[in-house]
Amino acid sequence: MFHQTPTRSVTLAIVLAGLVAYATFGGFFAREIVIEIAILAILAISLDFVAGFGGMVSLFHGAVMGLSAYGYSVLTAKFGIHPIPAAFAGIFMAATFGAAVAAIASRTSGIFFIMATLAFGQMLYTVIFKSRWLGGDDGMGGIPRFDASWIGLDFNDSLQFAIFAVFGIAVCYGVAALLLRSAFGRTMCGIHGNEPRMRALGVSTWKHKTAAFAISSAIAGIAGIFAAQHTQYISPELLFWTVSGEVLIVVILGGLGTLVGPVLGAAVFVLLKHEVGNYTNHWHIVIGLLLIVTVMAGGRGIYGQLEHWLAGKYAKAREGLNA
Amino acid sequence: MSDAGFWILQLLNALQYSMLLFLLSIGLTVIFGLLHFMNLAHGALYMMGAYIGISVASATGNFWAAFVLAPLAVTAIGAVLYFTLIRRMRHAGPMNQVLVTFGLIFVFLDLVRLGWGDIALGLDAPAALQGTTKFLSVSYPTYRFFIIGLGLVVMATLMTIVSRTQIGAMIRASVENGDMAAAMGINVGRLFFAVFCVGCALAGLAGVVAAPVFSASTGMGISILIPTLIVVVIGGLGSLQGAVVGSLIVGSIETIGAAVLPGAASILIYILLAVILVVRPAGLIPARA
Amino acid sequence: MLEVRNLCKSFGGLEVTKNVSFALEPGERRVILGPNGAGKTTLFNLLVGELLPSSGDILIDGASITGLSVDQRALAGMSRSYQKNNLFEDLTVRENLALAASAGLSKTRWLARDSFHDPEVRSIVQDVAQQVAITDILDAPVHSASYGNRRQLEVGLALATRPKILLMDEPTSGVGPGMISAFNQLISGLPRELTVVIIEHDLDLAFDVADRITVLNYGDVVFEGTPAETRGNQIVRDIYLGDWQADA
Repeated sequence: MFHQTPTRSVTLAIVLAGLVAYATFGGFFAREIVIEIAILAILAISLDFVAGFGGMVSLFHGAVMGLSAYGYSVLTAKFGIHPIPAAFAGIFMAATFGAAVAAIASRTSGIFFIMATLAFGQMLYTVIFKSRWLGGDDGMGGIPRFDASWIGLDFNDSLQFAIFAVFGIAVCYGVAALLLRSAFGRTMCGIHGNEPRMRALGVSTWKHKTAAFAISSAIAGIAGIFAAQHTQYISPELLFWTVSGEVLIVVILGGLGTLVGPVLGAAVFVLLKHEVGNYTNHWHIVIGLLLIVTVMAGGRGIYGQLEHWLAGKYAKAREGLNA
Repeated sequence: MSDAGFWILQLLNALQYSMLLFLLSIGLTVIFGLLHFMNLAHGALYMMGAYIGISVASATGNFWAAFVLAPLAVTAIGAVLYFTLIRRMRHAGPMNQVLVTFGLIFVFLDLVRLGWGDIALGLDAPAALQGTTKFLSVSYPTYRFFIIGLGLVVMATLMTIVSRTQIGAMIRASVENGDMAAAMGINVGRLFFAVFCVGCALAGLAGVVAAPVFSASTGMGISILIPTLIVVVIGGLGSLQGAVVGSLIVGSIETIGAAVLPGAASILIYILLAVILVVRPAGLIPARA
Repeated sequence: MLEVRNLCKSFGGLEVTKNVSFALEPGERRVILGPNGAGKTTLFNLLVGELLPSSGDILIDGASITGLSVDQRALAGMSRSYQKNNLFEDLTVRENLALAASAGLSKTRWLARDSFHDPEVRSIVQDVAQQVAITDILDAPVHSASYGNRRQLEVGLALATRPKILLMDEPTSGVGPGMISAFNQLISGLPRELTVVIIEHDLDLAFDVADRITVLNYGDVVFEGTPAETRGNQIVRDIYLGDWQADA
């Protein structure tokens, strides 16, 4: 079950404030990093929604994000459609694809489900990679950012865009938290806890899981819009399985099922990636080992471990008071 | 080329690809059926087989040395993974197994880049198998006939072992009901280790054997993993016959489909996967009721 | 109310349920007796839809439910408690009941409102907790509760959906003699409009609560009758009751 604890609120506030400060005072390169973190954080929130709370691990969230990015880009760059409706369309495409895969795969058990997401994500990559019209592996450029001049903002300025992206994290977190605390979210957690019992209580679990994936994919779609607007250029690499793998690692590293852990994990991951990149070209070994070690050490992740440790201290303090 | 010739060629290509898929999927499916362990790094072992084979061949100048040593090396790697990670993750649940073996995919990806660089590498077929052979009305590369033959031999050997020997009976019993098999005195742990090693050996063999045809690249692990997973889903987890049927189906669709419907080829097997997941989620020939 | 007609189930060559038929009046308390392996739990699985019959029909109020899925049958008013505890282990007792109550009220899809704070849900949680006598542990995590309490919660979950028909599979299984009278009270306290079918091995409890008894053996219905008739029947004594004598 999801609970928005004070620790989580404080942690989230610190991370978001830290990102805004870094972008404001850190110069151009810092802003690029903040935007990268924001995109990954939103994607990680979307994955934690279904994986941490719904118990449905997915290996295609990167591809879903990429689908939204391509949808938005095609509509704006190729058809000249206004960015706002194009963004909604991209997000809708992502949600539809995610729901379709979940609907197809939800009759099967955990491992088949994960394999199905891997396969269909790779299918999206292959289709887009092979499409000459979409630019193939040369990608597509000329992608516009939102025009916010009507509220006095200019998103072509990297600082304003960076802060907009951090604002995006806050909104997506808020939406996810609200949904997890709603009847829908409670039911999804129940399905995670004991799916056969939920069915016996009268819940159509496959419909619920499908809807959960639609929501999660929509949030991943939001990440896709930011991704397209960030570099104003996209390529099929956005849908490659390593992206889905990386966001899964971010969620585990940050703390599966804590919602704020993945946000923290995204920041740590991107910063680490840039640091390690200064020393070696072999980033994948580092994160592969990091994932293995994290899982085998109990799988709580950075924030998850923090929460666990704090809960232990709180319990001991209570015992001390009661003694 | 005549129409019949075109089709014979397609069928032979399909058969050759199916054999490679079979070598990989049989290991994956029996390991899962026996131990409920999904090893996503299986494709990475295939990749290691190819790269190690290339190194052995260039060091010794002999393809056959690679043919023998690469599978052994991959088995050794598998054994190390077994004792360090897999044995501990046996009861950890599908999510954690997926995460750990997924991490391994990342690790192997960069290890290969470290050891062999980023450029795709090739391997020459052995002299004895170069050139073409006439079959019905077509000339087909002799080496690819070798792959087909090798696959059929492995298939026949495995089917005989599984259905006619005691080990085969123990494997079938353990797949169907591991607890009961253990209660009846079968040492499921040791049986699993043996089966796991054979699965790794087959993956390594598939890798070295595929190298002359497909060449070795860092993406080959994942690009074979997806069709292999689809074979396992279609055939049914833990089922040898399922792996046979599944690899023939997927192999045919991939090769014949690409020749006949080049536009739609890339999504044909995914459509098949979707259909199977909806209509027969347990697979065509599931090993467990 | 609930009618079963010629229900058969075979697994390959093994016939587990052979031509079982019976009919329940609304509000009836029917106890199913029989030795182990008689097919009692299989019968429950067939009634709730976790197993599909080889042939035969199941009807609620005259309408056939044989084609309905597990969740559809639950919405039609069927509810079941399990022989082995089937709870939400990582949640509190209150959260367990709230999930069941929300499901029963079909309050599972709101995207903004929290069902757990809904007044109807809260009132059902409170009522059911009182009915099954677990109000004192409502905020405890399930995994910390005693086995007996968890058995009570198991029944509570089935009741919280406010069903029309309640199937109880060996509710006192594994429970100590002290708790059996608590379960007797629980069952006697169930609303009269609720139709109840109970699989039980504790004969004192069974004969106490039953309006009618059905005896199964090897998948067959070998006897059906009132408790008094059952007690006196020779076949039933031979296959199951043995020398068991109820207090007069």
